[in-house]
Amino acid sequence: MRKKIVSVLLTTAMVTAMLAGCGGKDTTASSDGSEKSPSAEAGSSSGDEITLKVFSNLPDRKNGQGLVEQKIIDEYMEENPNVKIEVEALDEEAYKTKFKAYSMEGLPDVVSIWGQPAFLDEVLDAGVLAELNESDYDDYGFVSGSLEGFKKDGKLYGLPRNTDVAGFYYNQKMFEDNGWEVPKTYDELLELAGTIKDAGYIPLAMDGGDGWPMAVYLSDLLYKVAGSDYSSIVSNAVATGDFTDSSIVKATELLKETADAGLFQNGYDSQDYATAQNLFINGQAAMYYMGSWDASMALNEDIDEDIRTNIRVFTMPVVDGGKGTATDIAAWNGGGYGVSASSEHKDEAIKFLNYMYQPDKLSKYGWENGVGMSAQDQSAYMTGDETELQMQFVDAVNNATSVSGTPINDCGPSAFKTGIESEIQSVSNGSMSVDDFLSSIGKACQ
Amino acid sequence: MKKLYSNKWVILSLVLPGLFLFVFAILAPICLSVYYGFTNYSGMGSYQFVGWENYKNLFHDAAFGTSLRNSLLLAIGFIFIQHPLAMIVAAVLDKLGGKGENFFRCVYFIPNVISVAVIAYLWKFIYNPDFGLLNNIIKAFGGKGDINWFNYDTAIWAVLIVLIWHGFGWGMLIYYTGIKNIDPVLYEAAAIDGATQIQIFFKITLPQMKPVIQVNVTMAVISALKQMETVYLLTNGGPGNSTQFAANYLYQQAFKAYKYGYGNAIGVVFIIICLLVTVILNKIFEEREAKIKVKEVA
Repeated sequence: MRKKIVSVLLTTAMVTAMLAGCGGKDTTASSDGSEKSPSAEAGSSSGDEITLKVFSNLPDRKNGQGLVEQKIIDEYMEENPNVKIEVEALDEEAYKTKFKAYSMEGLPDVVSIWGQPAFLDEVLDAGVLAELNESDYDDYGFVSGSLEGFKKDGKLYGLPRNTDVAGFYYNQKMFEDNGWEVPKTYDELLELAGTIKDAGYIPLAMDGGDGWPMAVYLSDLLYKVAGSDYSSIVSNAVATGDFTDSSIVKATELLKETADAGLFQNGYDSQDYATAQNLFINGQAAMYYMGSWDASMALNEDIDEDIRTNIRVFTMPVVDGGKGTATDIAAWNGGGYGVSASSEHKDEAIKFLNYMYQPDKLSKYGWENGVGMSAQDQSAYMTGDETELQMQFVDAVNNATSVSGTPINDCGPSAFKTGIESEIQSVSNGSMSVDDFLSSIGKACQ
Repeated sequence: MKKLYSNKWVILSLVLPGLFLFVFAILAPICLSVYYGFTNYSGMGSYQFVGWENYKNLFHDAAFGTSLRNSLLLAIGFIFIQHPLAMIVAAVLDKLGGKGENFFRCVYFIPNVISVAVIAYLWKFIYNPDFGLLNNIIKAFGGKGDINWFNYDTAIWAVLIVLIWHGFGWGMLIYYTGIKNIDPVLYEAAAIDGATQIQIFFKITLPQMKPVIQVNVTMAVISALKQMETVYLLTNGGPGNSTQFAANYLYQQAFKAYKYGYGNAIGVVFIIICLLVTVILNKIFEEREAKIKVKEVA
């Protein structure tokens, strides 16, 4: 009998332990944050202790944009000792996946978002972002039109962080040494591709494995072909699922021609961001197509000085017969921040958001760290020490007669984005015809 | 003690944790998957029932077809390339003996110890057309060395080689253990009868290994169907969808394209296929066993 009792006790103990083990997950998850930060403040009796959770798509906290973000967070905590800010940062793809998981159970207080239909439409439909009061931001110096992507039915749900410009980075020294000229027309660019190849270099390093840089390239081409009609053509095509507009067909054909002409490196359609960038900064490729955020290459000490100081940029040359001029450039306001609708400290979160967007924070620090242009007026922060590369981008934006707005892949629903980003590889490498490509991305819109 | 174990409550308390785990960690998610498979849920917000819509679309989805074809190719590659090789290597290792045996056993198992992420990047660099190892070797032998290994038509083979190479160690290790378990008396008897090494392999080693082969083949087929992480890191299904695998496609649809309902439909079809394959494999092996038994009785 005693044995029996002991056994039953043991069993119960085991079951309890197991249940406790199951429950344990929750407790560790919630105490996860407080473990990271010193618990010194936890002991104080004031009831105003607030912990804000920031969920960011910038995992590198020591360089570029991530450094800027962390710097502002540190300053905010210093000025507001009762506020503790915990950062969880993942790179873009992982970020978007976890964002979705979070949106089911409640988002962290402040989150990175993208002011583009492909990302924001579903998020706003789900109602997980808090509405912001637009008139609060009248004197924040936002570039006109930059808030549009973050609005729905006239209400504002987020603020843009950057102005992104797509461009052809090139190695000026390599160009001069070989007597190459920056192309003025698209035909010249294709011709140049042959010349560079003959000289034993890769003409242009393209991150084709990820799909989106190629989609940006296509948008860039389309903007040169269609000019100011670009956004109406794209939004119309996305709405109807009909991509047979002659401008879209022409731009896609141009992209295929470009790949056939050998402008991109061998195997571009399976190479990732880092590989493409490395080809350029190691001096194997003469050009590199990417957004203005990579202008920080000019400040990156890891890159050989000979190359680092010679990086310059030009924007997409004009296409023969196209409506876009040389100063109609592909630029858009992409990434930014929003506040969770279910945040327990919504006011504090918005206060922090506004703090970040004070013109002398994100804009100023971003500029000083060479991470590209913000979505706010930055002219006050020019130091005179800017790299030539930075100034080229500033000039491109200042001299622009018009900007394209959101690239085509981010203009539709997520299914469209996924579709176009994987099929664009097929159409450029010739394994899918232009017509099939356009009808398949059209289908993804429905 | 016996009395205790026949007490129904004690039995229940012992079974409960396992049952609990099974119901909530396996059964419930599967049921939820089936449920969501009939909706147009995006993963956020509200959703509607769409009936068989997802399954109908899936049937016409070329990318899903490609991913099933690729899984099939991989399974065939596992069974007809990886496993015969693994078995031969295991048999040779067994004969090697001493330090050499241990050394090579470790060497062959190393790919399994390295993290998948490292493997994927390692091969990415080996295959790189501009500075990769393969093309450099070709250059060293006087070739042009500008082959794009991941081009649309050949990418799947490049991926298969990596997967077959990566899983090789596991298969070999299991065969090796199987061979070690064979009664040495059989070998001695064969040696006395003057059998050659090849005869010994085909007449003793292979028949004795049947149960091991069964387990290994089943595991290989299942792992071919479930393939995800290496492909995700190596090509992410590209270029186009040429190296797409079902699990990776499911992930892309459910979490990147925000088609959670559709992703679940893929998951359901996927589970059904996995179950079917397992059942069929078991049937095949069962019949074989039955035949062998009949033979033995006769």
